[in-house]
Amino acid sequence: MLAPMQPEMKLSLVNRFRALRETRFGAFVPVLLALAAIWLYFGLVLPLYDVATGVESEFRTVFLSPRNIYNLFMQSAVIAALAVGITVVLLLGDIDLSAAATAGVCAALLGVLVLSGIPGWLACLIVMAVGIVMGTVQGLLVAYVGIPSFVVTLAGLLGYQGLMQKILPTGNLNVDDPFVRGFARVLIPDLWGLALGVVCVGAFAYIVLRKQSQRRKLGLEQDSPLALWGSVVAFGAIVLAVILTLNAYRSLPLLLVLLVAITALLGWITTSTPFGRSLFAVGGNAESARRVGFKVQRIRAAAFGIVGLMAAIAGIFGASRYGSVSYTAFAGGSLLLEAIGAAVIGGTSLFGGRGSVWNAILGALVIGSLGNGLDLTGASAADKLMVSGAILLLAVAIDALSRADAGWR
Amino acid sequence: MATNFGLAGQSAPPAHLAVRGVHKSFGGVHALRGVDFEVARGEVMALVGDNGAGKSTLMKVLAGAYAADKGEFLLDGRHVSISNPNDAAALGIQIVYQDLALCENLDVAANLSLGTELVKPWRFLPRILRPLDDLQMEVKARAAIDKLEVRTLQSVRAKVGGLSGGQRQAIAIARAVGAESSVVMLDEPTAALGVAQTRQVLEVVKRLRETNHAIIYISHNMRDIFEVSDRISVLRHGVNVATWRTGDTNPDEIVVAMTRGLNDARADAA
Ligand SMILES: Nc1ncnc2c1ncn2[C@@H]1O[C@H](COP(=O)(O)OP(=O)(O)O)[C@@H](O)[C@H]1O
Ligand SMILES: [Mg+2]
Repeated sequence: MLAPMQPEMKLSLVNRFRALRETRFGAFVPVLLALAAIWLYFGLVLPLYDVATGVESEFRTVFLSPRNIYNLFMQSAVIAALAVGITVVLLLGDIDLSAAATAGVCAALLGVLVLSGIPGWLACLIVMAVGIVMGTVQGLLVAYVGIPSFVVTLAGLLGYQGLMQKILPTGNLNVDDPFVRGFARVLIPDLWGLALGVVCVGAFAYIVLRKQSQRRKLGLEQDSPLALWGSVVAFGAIVLAVILTLNAYRSLPLLLVLLVAITALLGWITTSTPFGRSLFAVGGNAESARRVGFKVQRIRAAAFGIVGLMAAIAGIFGASRYGSVSYTAFAGGSLLLEAIGAAVIGGTSLFGGRGSVWNAILGALVIGSLGNGLDLTGASAADKLMVSGAILLLAVAIDALSRADAGWR
Repeated sequence: MATNFGLAGQSAPPAHLAVRGVHKSFGGVHALRGVDFEVARGEVMALVGDNGAGKSTLMKVLAGAYAADKGEFLLDGRHVSISNPNDAAALGIQIVYQDLALCENLDVAANLSLGTELVKPWRFLPRILRPLDDLQMEVKARAAIDKLEVRTLQSVRAKVGGLSGGQRQAIAIARAVGAESSVVMLDEPTAALGVAQTRQVLEVVKRLRETNHAIIYISHNMRDIFEVSDRISVLRHGVNVATWRTGDTNPDEIVVAMTRGLNDARADAA
C-alpha cells in the first residue's frame, strides 16, 4: 500500500483543536464559544456578582435585554460589513489597511452627493462604483506591480484619509436623505421577519438534506446524521432566537437583512464557485495555483475590488445608522482595527487560505459585544483598548497554533 | 561503453513529444543550454543528471510553468507552442512536481480538480462564478484514487495538510493521470518515500506505461531507474550528454556520464 493506514493522529490538545477547525462547521466553534463566554460574563456573571455584593438589590441583566441586543447588532453591522470584505483578501494571504478609509471616503461622498440633490439610490450606486475602483486600483498595484499589499494599502490608508478630509473640510456632515436613512430605519414587520427566518431555515435544511441524498445516490461517503441534524437545529435555533429577540424590542431591521444577504452571496461565491476556489488555492499555495492555470493576478485585483465594494457598503450602512458622516467614525477612528480584528477573531487566518465570511460576522459580534459590555459596566476607553488588544492577540495566537505546519521556529 | 548514444537511437520508437534546442535562463543562471529531448507513447524515459543539471527546469518548461527562452516543441511531429500551463494541459501534458504543488488547505477532491473544476451548466453566469459541482468532483477523485489503488486514503474530503508523504505523492500522480493526459512527468516521485511506498509508485508508473502514456521519470535512484525505464537520457550543466536504451547500459556508465560527462568518460575508458 502506498501509505500507512490513516495519518497518525497524535491526539494532543493542539492537534485535536486543529482537527476540529478543519471540519466544515467546526470552524465556528471557537468564535461561538468566545461569544458565549462574553455574553455569559456580561449578561449573567456580572449582574449576579452585583447582587451578591449588594450593589444591586435584584438581578437585572441590561446586557442581554432585547433592546441592548438590538443595539449591539446594529453597532456591529458596520464592522461586520467591513470585516466580511477584508476576509476576502485575507483568504489570499493579503491584507487591506485602507478599507475603513475607503468606507469613509464613500460615506463622505454619499453625504455630499445627496446634499447636492442627487437621488439617494443613485448616490448609493455611484458610491459603490467608487469603492470598487478605489479597491481595484490598489489590487492592480499589488498584483501587477508586485508591491506587498501591506505597503500599498498603508499608502491607501493615508491617501484616502486625506481624501476624506478634502471632501469633508468640516469633518462632519449630516445625512437626512430618506432613502439612505431607510436602511437603518425600515423595520420588517414582526410576522414577515419570522416568516423570512422560517424560510431561511427551511431552505438550509432542504439544501443540506438534498446534498445528503445525492451523496447516497452517487455512492459517496456521507455525513453523520448527527452532524447533519445538529447543524440544521443549531442554524434554526440561532436564526429564530435572533429574530424573536429583535422582534421583542422593535423588529428585524432592513440593514441586518441586507448584511446577511450580502454575506450569504459572498459566502456562496467564496466557497462554491471556481473564483472562490481560486482564492483559497492562492492563499494556500500561490505557486500551485499559478501552475494549474489560475490567473493569480486578476484574482488578486478582483479580491481588492470586492473589499472596495464592501467598504462602500459599510460606508452607506454607517451613514444610514448614524445619520451623519464624520471623520472619526470611519477613516480616523478604530474602525479598521476592529474590522481586521473581527475577521481574525472569527477564525480567518492572517496567513491566507483559511477562513469564511460568516466567521467575520461572528467576529464582529465578539468585538461589538466587548465594546458594548465594557461601556455598560462603565469601563474607561483605556480599559476597552487593553481588553480588545488582549483578545486580538489571543485570536492571532490561536490562528498561528492551528496552522498545520506551525512548529518551534 | 556509450555505444548506442545519440538522441533517437536507430531503434527508438517514434517520438510523441519532442523538444529541440531549448534554452532557459534565470537572470545570470543559464539552466538549459540547447537541450534536445523526446519521449514516445508506452515508454518510460528516465531523465537523470546531477543536482542543478536542469532536470526540473526542463520539466517545468514542458509543463508551461516556465516559458522557454528559445526552443521548438513537437507533438506527434506537429509544431506546438507551450507558453503557459493551460497550453500544456490542453496538449495532454501533465506534471507531478517535486514539491507536489498541492494546496494543503484544500481537500483531496479539490486538489485533484484544481484549475479544472467541474461546474453546473448555469450558462447565464461566467464560468468563474458558476456553482461548483463538488459531488461530481468527489466521484472523479474517488475514481482516480481507486485507479491507482490508493487503498489507504479513507476520504477524498480529507485536507491534504493532514496526509502522509506517500499519500500526497499518490494524490499528485492521480491529479496528473486524472486529467486527459498523454504525457505524464514525474519529478523524483520516490525521493521522500520508504521501500514499500516506492514499490507502489513504481507499480503505478508501469501501469501508466500499459495505458500507453508517455512517461518522463526523473530520479537519482539507479535501482528504480533500471527497473522501470525503457530509455535513459543524461543531462549535465544544462546540456545533453547522451541517451541510452536501458538494456544497453549499466548504472556505472550512467553515473559516470552524470558526474563527468561523456567526453571525460571516454577519455577514462581510452
Ligand atoms: N526559479 C529559479 N530561479 C533561479 N534559478 C533557478 C530557478 N530554478 C532553477 N534554477 C537554477 O537552474 C539550475 C537548474 O536547476 P534544476 O532544474 O532545479 O536542477 P535539477 O532539477 O536537475 O536538480 C540550477 O542552477 C538552479 O539553481
Ligand atoms: Mg530537481
